[in-house]
Formats: sequence, structure tokens, C-alpha cells
Amino acid sequence: MSNIMEQSLSRTTAATFEELALLFPEADPTPEQAAAPLDVTVSVDFRGPLTGRLVLRASESILPAIASNMLGEEESQHVPLQRDALGELANVICGNVLPIVAGAEAVFHLAAPHIHRDDSQRSRETDAARATTTFGVEDGRVQAELYVFDDASALAGAGVA
Amino acid sequence: MAFNVLVVDDSAVMRQMVVRTLKMSGLPLGTVHEAANGEEGLFVLQDEWVDLLLLDINMPVMDGEEMLRRLRAQPETAELPVIVVSTEGSETRLAALHELGAAIVRKPFAPETLRDTILRITGVTDVEYYGAVPVADNGGDF
Repeated sequence: MSNIMEQSLSRTTAATFEELALLFPEADPTPEQAAAPLDVTVSVDFRGPLTGRLVLRASESILPAIASNMLGEEESQHVPLQRDALGELANVICGNVLPIVAGAEAVFHLAAPHIHRDDSQRSRETDAARATTTFGVEDGRVQAELYVFDDASALAGAGVA
Repeated sequence: MAFNVLVVDDSAVMRQMVVRTLKMSGLPLGTVHEAANGEEGLFVLQDEWVDLLLLDINMPVMDGEEMLRRLRAQPETAELPVIVVSTEGSETRLAALHELGAAIVRKPFAPETLRDTILRITGVTDVEYYGAVPVADNGGDF
């Protein structure tokens, strides 16, 4: 299962960045990309046959390029929009990876993307990501992590529709 | 003929992306309305004439499937062209949306995919597209 999750998360993350953000993720980050900080975090909670959270972390330096390609040059300078654009990428990655790991018949409910002000809330202390993938993008990097919670109550009150 | 379009999505970013794609599609656009959920969308349809609906599925308050069912139950909107633009991957749910007469564009979408689906569902031909309508390219990278 984990291997399938890892591959699915990797493929879906790459495809989403390519098609939606028109950026081409490098599976083998350069030393500069690998050293870039992951200083912006967004997440999407999901509920269905599996309950959990998709976390997307990115270097702040690549956000203007993401926003520019998704929304146009004028919008690329607005920091809140840059983070919303990253949140939408997380939403699309989550929506596409879940049917692959849980089956095409599975119906999931996704919460709106959540922008984290710091790193503290992206996961619970006891959680370990079931799958993680990292890519070099522009002069920074992105990392997607898929968490699956064993107890559905973990998302109580998290806004999952 | 200019098309009045309603875009219903709880993500302001995705609405903006869809509107940007619409403007670059060459479709003769009239007014583009926006709504953040199905309920807001229904209110817009009560007051405005809309020729094409672009609809997300996962939304708070009222999701896209519920909005679509209510539309189809009303004679005035029973035949309204609808394109579902969503990350939805469940075949069960996609089949239900198809039965309700919606075309589906999965996110992430290439702008050309959305454009081609719009042209197909609205019946705008390539001749109209390339002949009568100048492409409103605003310099973006799409």
C-alpha cells in the first residue's frame, strides 16, 4: 500500500504542478534546490473510506512563479493569493491521489485548503506520513506528504464537508 | 451571440483561473458571474440570464451535485449547458453527474481542454472561434 501511495503521490504532485502551475518539477533536486527552506505549509483534510490529511510544503521563493502562471502576472505579487494558489494545488493533488489509493468507486469529502502560519499544526505529534515526495521547482522545492489517520475522530471539527 | 457565464467554485483562485481561461478561449463573452457555492449560484440564476455554468463539486453550504439536481428539476434551467470542473475522481459520482447531463473537466486541466469542452458544449464552431472572435490573449503564459 505504501509503495502505491508513494508512487501515486509522486506522479500526481508532478502532474498537478505541470498542468496547473506550468512548472516542471525535478525528481532529483539540485544541491541548491535541496538546500532551499520549506517555509510555507498548506494542508487539505479528507474524509471517506480513508481519513487523513494532504500536506504540501514549499519554498516561499517559488510562490510568485506559481501565482503568476496560475493567475497572471499582476496577481503574482500578492502574498495571500500566492498562498491560496499553493492551497489550490494541494486540493487538486489530494483530490486526484485519493481515488488511486482507495479505488475509483470511493467517494471522499475534502475540506477547504488550510494555510498554516507555522509548522505546528500540519500534523499531529504521533503521526507519520504514509507517503512523502519531494521535487525541485525553480530555485526551491516542494514536498507533499500524505497522512492517513486510524481514528476518524482526528478530523472532528476540521471543516470536512 | 455573447455568452453569459456563471462560475461556481468555493476557491477564489480557481474561479480566477477559470475566468482567465474563459477570456483566453475566444468564446464571445458577455457577463461572467461568480458564486462561492451552490446556494449562491442558484440565487444568481434567479436574477440573471446565464448561458453556461462552470461548476465545482466539493463546496460548503451546497455542493455542486445538489445544485445540479435542483437546476435539472426546474424547467427554465433543465437544459442549461453545465461543465463540472472538479478534482472529483469517484466513478460513482462522475457517472451521476453525467446522467444529469454535465460535461466533466478534471482538475488539473490544461486550458485547451477547458476551452475545447466549452466550445463543444456551447456549439461554437471552430469557424466562429477563429473567424468572428479575436483571441483575447492578455499576455499570460497559458
